[in-house]
Amino acid sequence: MEPLIIESGGDTPYVNFNPGTNTFLIAEKSLPANAVEFYEPVFAWITQYLKDPNENTFFDFKLDYFNTSSSKQIARFFKFIADSPFKERVSVRWFYEEDDSDMLDSGLLYAKLIDINFEFIEY
Amino acid sequence: MAQPTIPNDLDFFYDFFLHTKSAELTYIYRGIFTQAIIKHILSLTETNIDKTGESVKVKKRVYLIMVEGLQNITRHQELKEFEKKNQAIFLIQKIGSQYHVTTGNAITNDRIEMLGSQIEKVNSLNEDELKVYYREVLTKGKISDKGGAGLGLIEMARKSGNKLLYKFQQVDDRESFFYLRTEIFSEGEGSPQVEPDPNALEGIEGMQNILEAKNILIAFNGIFSQESLLGLLSIIESQMADNKNVYNIIVEMLQNIVRHGISATENPSGNEAMFLIREQKGDYLLSAGNFIKRSNADKLRERLDYINSLDDKGLQSFYNLKLLDFETNDGKESGLGFAEMRLKTKKKLLYCFREVDDEFSFFTIQAAVPVIVES
Repeated sequence: MEPLIIESGGDTPYVNFNPGTNTFLIAEKSLPANAVEFYEPVFAWITQYLKDPNENTFFDFKLDYFNTSSSKQIARFFKFIADSPFKERVSVRWFYEEDDSDMLDSGLLYAKLIDINFEFIEY
Repeated sequence: MAQPTIPNDLDFFYDFFLHTKSAELTYIYRGIFTQAIIKHILSLTETNIDKTGESVKVKKRVYLIMVEGLQNITRHQELKEFEKKNQAIFLIQKIGSQYHVTTGNAITNDRIEMLGSQIEKVNSLNEDELKVYYREVLTKGKISDKGGAGLGLIEMARKSGNKLLYKFQQVDDRESFFYLRTEIFSEGEGSPQVEPDPNALEGIEGMQNILEAKNILIAFNGIFSQESLLGLLSIIESQMADNKNVYNIIVEMLQNIVRHGISATENPSGNEAMFLIREQKGDYLLSAGNFIKRSNADKLRERLDYINSLDDKGLQSFYNLKLLDFETNDGKESGLGFAEMRLKTKKKLLYCFREVDDEFSFFTIQAAVPVIVES
């Protein structure tokens, strides 16, 4: 499957999903005015990918900031994983900066609300 | 634990909005000026001027005059970290086809005479004379111990093609506030030399009084769009690097304006609104105000009262519910943003509605975030 690469746009995150190298990263800031529109191609891509994901897939979320309209799209992202028959092959690695307890809390909330594999990594 | 209540003084917000509304764009920064902050002020203003489709020449002139004005402040500011009064201000306004760049900073009274005579000298010269004078000062000028020599003043006069406006406002026996304004026309070289109104700086004291009384650190009055929002955020990021909470709440507030605000004048490029950062008793007070349809005011008030009425647990379940409500996915729902603000601030949100006319109300909302004191 072709990788999905979206360069960061200042208010939109950097996305690099590459099944070939088995690396899946979403990073920087997610503050788009229209989060629904931004995440549309991302959802199209993962819908396809989740039909046959790599055995050990780690989606790395390494965000500095995200707005509430993105928070909902991120929840949808995790829901796509939860609804996949291959959800056991997939994990989310939630990165948070040392001292950024807000970012950790946001991740913990997702882990509580959506039943998929989560790991938390301080950096 | 009961939080100390912050009094709702938001009634002043709309008055201040009107005070600064004579300009299409007003940006005010008040406080300590560092290189990093200056860089961001410049880039924010650049973004906003870019959007007006101004010629490169005018843009560069405005930019250079801003640089001179800002550096003037840093050169002369004495870092009185704990003194909240008489903090320096920087103000840029776009009024019709003109840009006004105003700086205000405290100086010791013994400098008034020299500064006044330097400006008078610059104002007495025409374009050619200024050119000669510039070279003269540059090559054999008496460089002051702060590295100024009045070169900045000469540059500001040359670039604007205008007289410099100034005013000294005595504070006490030791200090005065020094205001300096440069007016730049955007019509380019063909524009007639219009004498600036000598009374133009009279109104600045009134503004300064509000800025001080309300301890306003940043004010932005203009058209809000995603781009201007990003510019504002970059300033805030540099200024409050260790306070992500402030950043997150500002994002929500500003995007609320962009998404839900309306333009009372049907401006196609965005919504007229104002955003303020104040500091009060250990809190940053972040407030945003914009026009809404009067008919929507009741619904909004209800929603806010509801969110304010929830206890911690109720608030969290409301938030979770909204977060996972994939049925509503048009990016328009605002309950999530308000709930997030309340969760992050752990305080009730203050708000104020002011009826403007039959059709519009002005809506102001404020969130308080504790200032993080560096240990």
